[in-house]
Amino acid sequence: MSSGRPEWGSLTDQDVVLLARSGQEAAYRELIRRYERPVFALLFRMVRDRELAEDLAQETFVKALNAIDSYRPEFKFSSWIFKIGNNAAIDHLRRRELDTLSLDGSPHAETPEAMQATALQIGARQESPLDTVEAKELGGAIEAAIGALRPEYRSCILLRHVEGRPYEEIAEILNLPLGTVKTYIHRARNELREALAHLKE
Amino acid sequence: MTRPPGTHLSADEIDSWLSGNLSQEWQQHLDHCQACLERVRIEREIVDQITALPRLSPVIGFADQVMASVVIPDPFAIRSLHATQRRLFATKRSLALAASLTLILLGSMAGSIAWSLTHQDTLASIGNWLVTQGGQMAWLSLRGVASNLFEQPWYSGLRALNPLHLALGSGVATTVYLGGVLALRRLLALPNQQVAHAGI
Repeated sequence: MSSGRPEWGSLTDQDVVLLARSGQEAAYRELIRRYERPVFALLFRMVRDRELAEDLAQETFVKALNAIDSYRPEFKFSSWIFKIGNNAAIDHLRRRELDTLSLDGSPHAETPEAMQATALQIGARQESPLDTVEAKELGGAIEAAIGALRPEYRSCILLRHVEGRPYEEIAEILNLPLGTVKTYIHRARNELREALAHLKE
Repeated sequence: MTRPPGTHLSADEIDSWLSGNLSQEWQQHLDHCQACLERVRIEREIVDQITALPRLSPVIGFADQVMASVVIPDPFAIRSLHATQRRLFATKRSLALAASLTLILLGSMAGSIAWSLTHQDTLASIGNWLVTQGGQMAWLSLRGVASNLFEQPWYSGLRALNPLHLALGSGVATTVYLGGVLALRRLLALPNQQVAHAGI
């Protein structure tokens, strides 16, 4: 550090967090700069919707930075922020899964007409031009195959092969045993192999 | 890791191969086993495709959007007006809440003014009643205090004193009081000395 302005490149995440805790806005911005792309990329590939991924990424950073005092420096900052982001994505996917169940109509509907009236209203959406653009952005068979994986497998494979995180860190982020992470990644790769082989045929 | 004869690469060995850490023994097996070679080739292809996925970025100005909702701790633990203002305007929900509260406040103020203007007689009568009641209560309190004073056993002695003695006694009491205040002030004054090592 020189003349009071930190040289961000030479500082570790933990150093930047300390500066943020002392009330330096620039330190907050540096943390965002370091992680906005990987966190957003993970969330986008998890939820496959740009606007939603941005909302979730924003929620992730706001939650993390407002609770910066509760971050424990003995853990990696990347693990912490990915954990918050992944939880946000999984929560959203679970909620969406519940909504999708309503395709058959509300469980509270008492008559067949009521069932029909409530059916397809939640979760049903038409392909918009924006969706088409997003599909192109997420384009390619591999993106489609990753999108079809179970959310847990998707998190694992993206953290491992897109973000290059070691197995131990993935286990920490996802709060899973190391062996489970390895199994998920192997199964995910098997499913991807089968999906890609099917697409080639 | 020793390789049991006749076995092929497990998922762990494939991982080791992908990260370039496959043991010599397994590497030798791989050189001769067509099935394992094909398997690792496909795995490598998949991993390469995943690794080559485009790097995605959020919208420009993402950091500003985030910072609008982040409350930076004040080093002196005083939450500044600026931070409160930013928090207030951070999300649509907080903005709506602030707007609702402002509307309720302004509405009730406007309602109160409007009511006062249209009910001036009522207000005047309430005011008169309050003044009358207040006056009566003050008069009753004063009478209570006075009668209490007259009933004190030392009051007759006080009445018997002549004005000169009374003035003398008051003067002595005032002097003692002022002396006490001055002495206390001197005792509580901080030493006016510079701190050498602080350079100030």
